[in-house]
Amino acid sequence: MMHLHLTHRMIFIVLFYSLSFSAQNPRVLLHLVNAKLSKAKTYSVDVEIKVDLPYITLQPIQSKLYVKDHKRFKLDTKRIAVLPKQGFLQFNTLLTDSIHYTALFQAFEIIKSVKTVVINVIPNSDTGDVILAKLWIDAINQVVVKTQITTKSSGTVKTEYQYGSQTAYGLPDKIEFLVDVKKFKIPKALSADINTSGTAKTQKKTGVIQVLLKNYAININVNDSFFNSDKKN
Amino acid sequence: MNHAKKIVEVKHLVKYYGKFCAVSDVSFDVYENDVFGFLGPNGAGKSTTLRMLLSLIKPTHGTIALFEKSLSDHRSAILSKVGCIVEKPDFYKYLSAQKNLEVFARISGIGISKTKIAELLEFVGLQGRANDKVSGFSHGMKQRLGIAQTLLHDPDLIILDEPTTGLDPQGIIDVRNLILQLKHEKRKTVILSSHILSEIERIANRMIIINKGKTVVQGNVADLVSSSALIVTFNLTPVDKALEVLQHSNFSACKTLVNNASLTLQTHADAIAQINAMFCSNDIQVSGIEVKRQLEDYFLQQVQSYAN
Amino acid sequence: MLIKCIYNELLKIAYKPRSYIGIAGIIIINAIILFAMKVDGSFYISLVTGQFEQTLAFEGGILNGNLVAFISIQMLIIHVPLLIAFVTGDLISGESAMGTIRLLLTKPVSRSTILWSKFFASAIYTLAVILCLAFMSLTLGKILFGAGDLIVLKFDGLVVFQEQDINWRFLCGFSLAFLSLITVATLALTLSCYSENSIGPIVATMGIILVFTIIGSMDVPVFDRIRPFLFTTHMAAWRYFFDTPLQTKAILHSIFILTSHCVVLLGIAFYKFNRNDILS
Repeated sequence: MMHLHLTHRMIFIVLFYSLSFSAQNPRVLLHLVNAKLSKAKTYSVDVEIKVDLPYITLQPIQSKLYVKDHKRFKLDTKRIAVLPKQGFLQFNTLLTDSIHYTALFQAFEIIKSVKTVVINVIPNSDTGDVILAKLWIDAINQVVVKTQITTKSSGTVKTEYQYGSQTAYGLPDKIEFLVDVKKFKIPKALSADINTSGTAKTQKKTGVIQVLLKNYAININVNDSFFNSDKKN
Repeated sequence: MNHAKKIVEVKHLVKYYGKFCAVSDVSFDVYENDVFGFLGPNGAGKSTTLRMLLSLIKPTHGTIALFEKSLSDHRSAILSKVGCIVEKPDFYKYLSAQKNLEVFARISGIGISKTKIAELLEFVGLQGRANDKVSGFSHGMKQRLGIAQTLLHDPDLIILDEPTTGLDPQGIIDVRNLILQLKHEKRKTVILSSHILSEIERIANRMIIINKGKTVVQGNVADLVSSSALIVTFNLTPVDKALEVLQHSNFSACKTLVNNASLTLQTHADAIAQINAMFCSNDIQVSGIEVKRQLEDYFLQQVQSYAN
Repeated sequence: MLIKCIYNELLKIAYKPRSYIGIAGIIIINAIILFAMKVDGSFYISLVTGQFEQTLAFEGGILNGNLVAFISIQMLIIHVPLLIAFVTGDLISGESAMGTIRLLLTKPVSRSTILWSKFFASAIYTLAVILCLAFMSLTLGKILFGAGDLIVLKFDGLVVFQEQDINWRFLCGFSLAFLSLITVATLALTLSCYSENSIGPIVATMGIILVFTIIGSMDVPVFDRIRPFLFTTHMAAWRYFFDTPLQTKAILHSIFILTSHCVVLLGIAFYKFNRNDILS
């Protein structure tokens, strides 16, 4: 019994110090997360995209998403889909670029019963698009649970990730984007309405884009040329 | 009393355009196989009357019966037996002669084959222009096409409003012969309105003269003309003595026209011999007598007398 | 006899050169639109999606045959009434001007039958124009750009219609556009009964459309009462089919107004045509 008690103590101490260590060196944690993600260089996944945004009416669509090296992605569909402009790969740059960004430990936070390390990622200069990024990392599983990225062009986008079948590769089963829509303005001259005067009714200022991912195919072979075609046409 | 079948019966026809009276109480009858002349000066109401016969214009008052049926109640049945040219014949300029006839044949009430149309075009001398657009036709060619259109459905009554207008002399003769052929060979009834009065005299057996929308006179051409005064020209010398003799005779009231060597007067046929004998007994040398029985004079006379 | 008369009227329309001006106009304008979209379609799309693209990225085939067809219809539906009036306004007044009305009305066919035949012929011509528009915009558009979802910008936002949800909307939209053009054709035909030259009814028809459109677009309270009853207010009613949820009540109201206009105008035309004295 004393042996077991000692083992528990050792584990606690190791965890405590590893967490503390990580807290003191957030860049290490980010690298660990990145290392996990790097196991899946190229993958495809079936996605269902549901949009609940003010000013936009769009039915859920099913498609196939291809990702290569966590830098390039393509939604293989003729259907019209809406994603945040930042995409969902932006935080990958923040994970690996230690030259242009500085990672700082902020705090610990519990999100849905998961203890996360909150890391602020700050650009070293103000010339880039990113103003500030905040990452909530599950240190135990070494996955990103939540991000909040503020950019000059798109404002603030909060993203939440849920994991399941592909936690080993750091690939989520569900992503929810909370999008800031304050900037939407409708060009009335182009609108296809009849006999309608007046302004649009007041809408909420944020919206949600939910992406469900399943049936991952990990480390498939996809040519670079596949990602080169014009997405809109 | 005409015992032939009455094809057209017009009674007390009146047409007002607002306050203006275009036709005032016109009545006439047309019998089977008549060539009925419709005469009158410009603006007399001829075209208005004919258009009322064809239901192009609605009468203000009066009745029109064709083939013993009321026009207002049996319009379609009646018009299926009527062929007409109203004013100048107009066709669809962008269609060929053949196509024009096909268009009108299709709605003429009976089936008319393309062969029949071709025969008609040959009949009026347009067989070589059947596929040419009417926009390139001369007035005479359109007139002939109009006659072909009139005969498309073999009508029993043919109404021709100024059919020889714009035709050359040969064309006029052709139309005259056609009308006579329709009357005598095909037993058709023809109503013919014309300003060429000599044509009416030659073709029509019955006629009506209207003026200012009113009937001036109507009846058989022969009777009407024979009941009128003759225009008699006596070629004689000395003219002044002859005039003096005339003025002291029973014929002093006759209208007289004096020329250098002739005396023209209006009188009746049975007076010619008496006048001639009177001149001869007064030592007036009569070298010649010319008698004219002209419908034109009659027409002008009737119109002027009506106007007076 | 009505069928024969309709056949005659269609024959006359088919042989008149002016009948093809409208069709040619639609073909040419559509070809220009297709060319412009092929060359610069992304620019037009950026006008539509640009305001959203600061925050959002649009994936998939936005530029497709359905979008091009929608653009074509929006642009052309203003011009097509003129093309319709150009032909239908001439149906009676043209005959009066040419003098053929005299011959036509001495045939054993009632005036009502003749007028019905002209109305049906104008309806068939209008249908031909709409089908030409549909073919040029939809069919050629899909051949050139493929099919796909349709993105429609409305005054209160963007609506994306799924591909399988579009064809019936276009069918219904074209049908309602056909009804609105029939109303224009009926107006031109009615005015044609009052004129003995071709230009008058055409100009009058366009003048009425212009004036009513101006009244309909002016945000003045005094016109609020009459605006819902003007046929021009409902000429773009086909757009209701590109709305979600579907505005069934508005669609039915538009159908009622347009149909009522046709009935009233036809009544006036029949009254006038049957009473007219043919003096030309």
